[in-house]
Formats: sequence, C-alpha cells, structure tokens
Amino acid sequence: MTDTDEVHPGHAPSLAPMTGTPAADRCTDAEFEQLLGEGVEPAYRLALRLTGNRQDAEDLVQDTALRAYRFRSSFARGSSFRSWFYRILLNGFYTSWRRRRNEASMDELEDAHDLYLYLRSSEAGMLGPDSTPLADTLSRMTTDQVASALDALPDEFRTACTLYFMEDLSYQEIAESLGVPVGTVRSRLHRGRRMLQKRLWKLACELGIVGAAHEEVKR
Amino acid sequence: MIERDLSCEEVLRHLAEYLDRELTPGERAQVEEHLRTCERCAREHRFERAVVDEMRAKLREVEMPGDLVARIRRTLALES
Repeated sequence: MTDTDEVHPGHAPSLAPMTGTPAADRCTDAEFEQLLGEGVEPAYRLALRLTGNRQDAEDLVQDTALRAYRFRSSFARGSSFRSWFYRILLNGFYTSWRRRRNEASMDELEDAHDLYLYLRSSEAGMLGPDSTPLADTLSRMTTDQVASALDALPDEFRTACTLYFMEDLSYQEIAESLGVPVGTVRSRLHRGRRMLQKRLWKLACELGIVGAAHEEVKR
Repeated sequence: MIERDLSCEEVLRHLAEYLDRELTPGERAQVEEHLRTCERCAREHRFERAVVDEMRAKLREVEMPGDLVARIRRTLALES
C-alpha cells in the first residue's frame, strides 16, 4: 500500500505489503490483535456512516479486519494504527460498497461562508440570555437527521468530515487515512464544515426546529 | 507563525485550526489572548465549539453489535 495513492471513488490502490517494513518494526500477532480489537468499534461507527446500514457496516468491518490481518506486515509499530486501518476500510468501501446517495449539488452548498450557523441563528433571533446565538439547533435533531446532512456532502468533503467528526483524529492522521497531503485535508475540512453548516440550517428550517426554538426564546 | 496582535479577521481564519488543536503553541497563545479580550470573537468561538461537540456526540451515538469482535476473531482464527 503506497502512501501517495489517494483513497477516492473508483480508485483502489494496491494493498500489497510494503516489503520495506523491517521485521523489528512489525507488530507481533498478539500486539496486532490487541490493536485490532480496540479499533473495531470506532471502525464500525465509521463504516455505518459510510454505508448507511448496519449489515453492510458489519460486513465492511469484517472485510477490513481480514485484509488488515493479511497485510499486517505492512503496519509499522509506533505509527497510527487507526490511520492505516481506516485507509484499508475506505479502500474497501469505495471498491465494493459505495452506494448511490442523494448528494446535494455543489451549487447548493458552495456559497456557504464561515460562521454560517452562528449568523443564521442570530438573524433568526435565536439568542440566549447573553445575546449569544443558541447553539442547540443540533441538540434538537436526531442522530439520523444530523447524519443525513453529512451524507449529502460531495464525497471528498464527506469522507474528510466523517473522519473528523467520528474520531478525534489529527489532520495528519486524516491525511494518512485518505492518502492526501495535510494541506488538502485542511482545505476539505474548511469547505466541508461550511457546507455542512449550511445543510444543517436548511434541515433545521425544514424540520421546523428554527421556528420552534425562536418561540421558546421569546417566552 | 503569527507574530503580532491578531485582528478579528485573522482569529476567524484560524478558528477552525484552533478548535482542532492544529496551531503551534505560539499561534495558540495569540488566539487565546485575543479571545480573552474580544467578546465578539469569544462568543463565536464558544458557538463553533458547541457545534463541533454536538456533531461528535450525535454521530458517535452508535451501538456496535455485541458479538462483532468475537466474529472477527473467529474469522481471523480460520485464516491463520
């Protein structure tokens, strides 16, 4: 598995083991199984967000674990297991599981600006006692509703944002998972988060959350 | 590296990286100094922090099947 191959739809980089990993840097089977055991749950959460259903998520994680085990000699002790494992998972997802999604158009999302939710909340009069816009729009949504907003982002932004929100990964770890430079991660997160805020606001308006919250503030 | 007092616009440009702990210690200190003295930027920071925290909390509300790890271990045992 090369470090320079980006994970993206339609392209599944080779998972051939890096023969350059010295034996001294490889995990023992026991160490590997411990890392794998700890990584299954976060991987399942990621797989569920990517596939959209539990059965596919289970299948994707099991497939990923098997691939990871077969190519465990390519994992260097001390490097980020999560990044390495997620990279295999994302490769598998784009190869076998990518589903048709209702992806919002870039035109619909692209003009989102910084502080979108903050400014819209202020304009809608959703202010708390100290005149701070209420940040509880999201708390009034279900997990599925929030996930649908994330799901509507174009692929490259959705994947970066999913890794960002699901796991407490650094930009470097996200970059390693995706096989892209850190600067690309920074750019995709910046634009993706703005698009996501715009999508969340639209959803909140459609669900009637904005109006309901405004009425509560007035009382 | 940011080497002088920051403007509100500069703090906003670096806000995401500040939230994500991706700034250098010096940059972080400058943003924090500005947030201590600028109520408007402090309000925006608190709001954005709350949005990120809420997104994470919502998206992590997932229960993994209890037997998934065991099934994976069985599969790997067969492989080896």
